[in-house]
Amino acid sequence: MSTADWGVVDDEVVGRLRDIVGPEHVKVDDGAVAAFARDATPLYAARPDVVVMPGSAAEVAEILRLATRARVPVVPRGAGSNLAAGTLAEAGGIVLVLTRMDQIVEVNADELLAVVQTGVTTAELAAAAAADGLLYAPDPGSKTVSTVGGNVATCAGGLRGLKYGVTRNYVLGLEAVLPTGEIIRTGGRLWKDVAGYDLTRLLTGSEGTLAVITEVTVALVPMPATSRTGVAYFDSLATAGRAVAQVIADGVVPATLEFLDNKCINAVEDFAGLGLDRTAGALLLFGDDGAPDVVEQNLERMARTCEKQGASGVTMAREVAESEALLAARRCALPALARLAPVTVLEDVGVPRPRIADMVARIDDIAERHGISVATFGHAGDGNLHPTAVLDPSDGDAAERTKAAIGAIFSAAIELGGTITGEHGVGAAKLPWLQDRLGAEQMALLSRIKTAFDPAGILNPGKTGSQEL
Amino acid sequence: MREGDEDVSELPIVPQVPRPVDAGDHGVHRRGIFDPELLDRCISCGFCLPVCPTYALDKDEQSSPRGRITLMRALESGRLEPDDPTLQHEASYCLGCRACETVCPAGVEYGPMLEQWRDHQWRAGHGPALARWLRWAVARRRMLQLSGLVRRFARTRGPVRDDVAHVMLGCAERALFPAVSQAARALVPGADAPADQGCCGALHAHNGDSAGGREMALRLGRDLPGTIVTTSGGCAAHVAEHLGRDRLVEISDYLVRTGWKPAGRLMTKGADGRPRPIRVTLQDSCHLRNGLGVHRQPRELLEQIAEYVELPSAASCCGAAGSYSILRPRDSKRVLAPKLDEIMAAEVDYVVAVNPGCLLQLKQGLLPRRARGAKVKAVHLVELLVRAGSRAE
Repeated sequence: MSTADWGVVDDEVVGRLRDIVGPEHVKVDDGAVAAFARDATPLYAARPDVVVMPGSAAEVAEILRLATRARVPVVPRGAGSNLAAGTLAEAGGIVLVLTRMDQIVEVNADELLAVVQTGVTTAELAAAAAADGLLYAPDPGSKTVSTVGGNVATCAGGLRGLKYGVTRNYVLGLEAVLPTGEIIRTGGRLWKDVAGYDLTRLLTGSEGTLAVITEVTVALVPMPATSRTGVAYFDSLATAGRAVAQVIADGVVPATLEFLDNKCINAVEDFAGLGLDRTAGALLLFGDDGAPDVVEQNLERMARTCEKQGASGVTMAREVAESEALLAARRCALPALARLAPVTVLEDVGVPRPRIADMVARIDDIAERHGISVATFGHAGDGNLHPTAVLDPSDGDAAERTKAAIGAIFSAAIELGGTITGEHGVGAAKLPWLQDRLGAEQMALLSRIKTAFDPAGILNPGKTGSQEL
Repeated sequence: MREGDEDVSELPIVPQVPRPVDAGDHGVHRRGIFDPELLDRCISCGFCLPVCPTYALDKDEQSSPRGRITLMRALESGRLEPDDPTLQHEASYCLGCRACETVCPAGVEYGPMLEQWRDHQWRAGHGPALARWLRWAVARRRMLQLSGLVRRFARTRGPVRDDVAHVMLGCAERALFPAVSQAARALVPGADAPADQGCCGALHAHNGDSAGGREMALRLGRDLPGTIVTTSGGCAAHVAEHLGRDRLVEISDYLVRTGWKPAGRLMTKGADGRPRPIRVTLQDSCHLRNGLGVHRQPRELLEQIAEYVELPSAASCCGAAGSYSILRPRDSKRVLAPKLDEIMAAEVDYVVAVNPGCLLQLKQGLLPRRARGAKVKAVHLVELLVRAGSRAE
């Protein structure tokens, strides 16, 4: 569908929207919509025509029915912490903000599950589960900000990927609204359920292009008795990468294996002041959770492996609070890098774990060839790397060179058997490279699936399943 | 305003840059309202959202720090005019509590940007009329002295000495809570409290006149040579910014630095008729905590004289926010409401403030609950400390 075919958001459409959600939850003023022109993706902005904040699935259904009839694009949005321009209204239309739907419906310790509305933040869900002695395992870096609905829509990953998996491993059921207005419930409170196609999994990671998620049922696990974290310093990310491979070869599957290069160490230290070694080429954060003696044993083994692999120093967090501070510091690596330059362009490639050191070497080489500065951090345990270009947009063609470098990084990841995005999503930012990863046949299938859900093509156009705008 | 930018605020709006290379006005500087380094620093990660009191109320991007920075950029780039209703609303709806700064990994300095925003937005009579009147009123020294005369027992007489610490009387405190200034004087040996001191200018800086606010802080520094001790967290952050942290010391910080120790704990009669230590909680002063990083000190002092419990939202704004409770009384009460429930649930005897604005806000907020039989009282930290008595080291 070309942009010329979109319906116009005129007074009648706005009037109908006001009738559905109440006038105070519809915004059309220049300034009000301008605030929704950004998510957390640098260099991207697009202003919607109207911002609507529904309070229930029924309201969402009415809005979508209206939008399908009027052929007005609808872009679902949670907290707007997306990093792939996945919540921007590039074709204008409606930005559908779901943050008002913020109730924790249920935490059930007997069934080991929780039911939450889409706008609950990940940290709120985690805290509610913890209050009942349970763990919501997915641990995305932006969990204090991001919503559970947004996490499901992007299949958010995070710091516990290796041992616990990612969001998709914990979604049991969804309530979602189709673009044509039907409210569906997929999955449910069941661990085993093969009735029909697995729509729960299909919607998880669909980035708001197939349906609008309004309620989520997630699996919880018993809270581990203890957790502990240590830090190992290396001369380079590549050495740290080899240590990671050895840790896992030794038979330990730890809860945490994160690394930061020298630039990231310094940016994080500037913000958090934890006493990290600023001179180290790379830092490996390793940790585990579970029964105290097992955790102790695994930490010891990992520390010894790191030393054998050439770590220049290994320190252990003495208490849980210290471990938490280290993890919190790691989570803020990206925004802390903003201290280096006005624009940070973050990428999210993934490679098979044994290829981490190769990928790191390729990234360094590409950065040098394109004359840009790249800081790298990431989830060493699951091969998900975040090379981050830091640039000053006033520096001539820095943005162009960065774009070229990112293309080269994607190609390198695919060559190594990897992917263009591990956990942030495709959005508008990575759509141009999606075919390189999937091939023409899968792209065509994606497009047919999209049409089956969204015949008018109104849901989040310009992202997965539709053409670039 | 920068060189060559005398008055560009009325220039026509630049045509919208075609999608999607438009970076949301990031890095576009046309009007010279904001310091470019400050405005460019935000990368819109949104880590500030969960600590913003107005975002917590509405869950609305435009009422979050990140959303407001997007709006500031649209103002700076010329995409929005200063009379845009959303800009007007958000410039005054923001509490200015600066909680966002403490969680910002990128180190965005929101406070100074808010001052620059209001300087521009509220110039030439565009701001709230009440704010203008308040700025005018507290800038009048005579008026301050008169208000102090009504409740005269806080101030001291005689010439200003330069060999003792001075207790700052503040413009609200001398009229509303002279006992607080008096308690502060009792806790700081030898301190005077000269009547002839002006307003510190914090109110001006936060309400669209940062130049005036700076001038008043500097003048206060000239009027009171040497160390100035204040019982107002809000004033402390503003004055320290201009005079330095060695000249202006907030009272809890001062007492911890000078090793103050109480004579004993404050006791009350328990439900069983036997004496028990009083149970207290603290409401942080936003600018003291977020601007000066002083939050450990008042807790340390309270733990010496009482059983201390922490409120879940102790670090979050109470809604007083300087003149906010006067300018936006309805929103101020909405911000306070959940905190009152927390105070009741904590079953404390006292909720302790370290800023006169917060003290007034808590006192007024608790009135209906006290009318219904609640016993909890709002007090200033120094009122409790002075009752505990000082122990000579």
